[in-house]
Amino acid sequence: MTADAPALPWYAHPFWRGVYNSLPALGLSAAVLVVWEAVIRLFKVPTFVLPAPTAIIESLIANWRALAFAAQATALEVLFGFVLSAIVGVLVALVIVRFERFGRALYPLIVLFQNVPKVALAPIFILWFGYDLSPKILLIVVIAFFPVAIDMLAGLQSVEPSFVSLMRSVGASKSKIMLRVRIPHSLPHLMAGLKVAITFSVIGAIVGEFAGANQGLGYMIQFASTQLDTPLIFAALLVVSVLGLAFYYVVEYAEHVLVPWAPKFDPIHSAG
Amino acid sequence: MNVIAMNVAAAKTVQPGTASPAAAPAHIAARGLAVDFTVQGRRQRVLNDINIAVPKGSFVSLIGPSGCGKSTLLKAMAGLVTPSEGEMRVAGLSPQEAVKARLIGLVFQEATLLPWKNAIENAAFLLMTADEKMKRSEAFDRAGKMLKMVGLEGSEKKMPSQLSGGMRQRVAIARALALDPEVLLMDEPFGALDAITREEMSECLLDIWERTNKTIVLVTHSIDEAVLLSREVHVMGTGPARIIETLPITVPHPRNEASYADPAFTAAENRLRSLLIESHRRGRK
Repeated sequence: MTADAPALPWYAHPFWRGVYNSLPALGLSAAVLVVWEAVIRLFKVPTFVLPAPTAIIESLIANWRALAFAAQATALEVLFGFVLSAIVGVLVALVIVRFERFGRALYPLIVLFQNVPKVALAPIFILWFGYDLSPKILLIVVIAFFPVAIDMLAGLQSVEPSFVSLMRSVGASKSKIMLRVRIPHSLPHLMAGLKVAITFSVIGAIVGEFAGANQGLGYMIQFASTQLDTPLIFAALLVVSVLGLAFYYVVEYAEHVLVPWAPKFDPIHSAG
Repeated sequence: MNVIAMNVAAAKTVQPGTASPAAAPAHIAARGLAVDFTVQGRRQRVLNDINIAVPKGSFVSLIGPSGCGKSTLLKAMAGLVTPSEGEMRVAGLSPQEAVKARLIGLVFQEATLLPWKNAIENAAFLLMTADEKMKRSEAFDRAGKMLKMVGLEGSEKKMPSQLSGGMRQRVAIARALALDPEVLLMDEPFGALDAITREEMSECLLDIWERTNKTIVLVTHSIDEAVLLSREVHVMGTGPARIIETLPITVPHPRNEASYADPAFTAAENRLRSLLIESHRRGRK
């Protein structure tokens, strides 16, 4: 590290390059916030309609203890729900590919089920399982397993036929081809599915809490809205977003570590 | 050298479309082979009445227009498609038995390397799949030797994404050779490479063949490649797919760039060209 330090000017350090690269995004965000604040003050918009950014920050600081407690409850639901979605999604994909005939029967049912508006299921789950963790986890699973299953399935099936021929040319069994080639080959696809699933999981948790809960960020948003405490709604939304972002980047980091050969999405250079 | 001389004798006596006289017992032999595929519910004959005999240690090319079934014939040799009629023997065994005995090495147009494994891991991969009991160190040792043979010494630790198309194909060849098969079946292995790289790969393959004396069957579109590499070229035609002529190539060995100027090379090239044009024309009718 220190050996090549003199060769690099300070601004070439990855950290400062990162800061530099995020300058446009930060600048735009700052501009939006400034305009927002200005509009609220200029036109004297009532706080319960749309609070100014400063009011939201104030509420965030004033209620940080309650928000942190709610975030913890929601994070737990997201975590359990996401892990279970991943397991169910992977298993569904494996079963469909491994047991072809059963898969042909199962696949249309899953697609059909996917078209049921899951939000509408929330009250039923509450009815069945009560107000604690399980109905939220179940709701997350029914929402988030689908992208995992579909992407994993695509990964398992997108293996080049020549790979399969090669394996067969040395007498490898179906299970061995699955284990050695198909499953590792599907991992980049699986990670893409997991990234969708983690965002769905956050949505699922919030919806689950809307339908019936006594804690969590979704519960807090609903409670604040009955009190017309709009700044707290926005503060809770902010926490939800940060939580979702944090979860997303954990999954992306896992992808980086587990499947370094996965194609990278670079939003800045993808157009080039 | 002895074996090669014998093969020349065998190649010279081959008659178009018939099995070679038993000068040397054929290493790969098809008799009355036919293959049907079911395409959208309809059975279609992809290969019809194929008779072919590849002597041990020979280098044979299959050439013909697209859709003439040359890849299917290669797959039948590898036991990847099941014949509807006739039979295929590899070293006196059925292709399935030959697969079990690890007699067959395959190379495709795409290198099909596992992107999460480096060059030597890829080269050792099939060997380790074929032989579960083999020690990792032993498999890597063999894979390393094969990488050296294909000219990839020093690139063992590189990932496929860091290798050029030609280098990836060299790894694929090393992977097939690591199995130490008796038969190397190659389906347009250089089809996706640029002209200069193709040239290099052809020489690399010639070198491998001369050193290992394996029986090689090559499916190709390139007349040059077929003439430069082969002892014998089977020209295939469509409608119905079959072998229309078997042409022995008498260009002297060892072959290299200078072989292109050999009169035998030009003669074979011209003959193949006219056969292909004729078969192409007939295919369109």
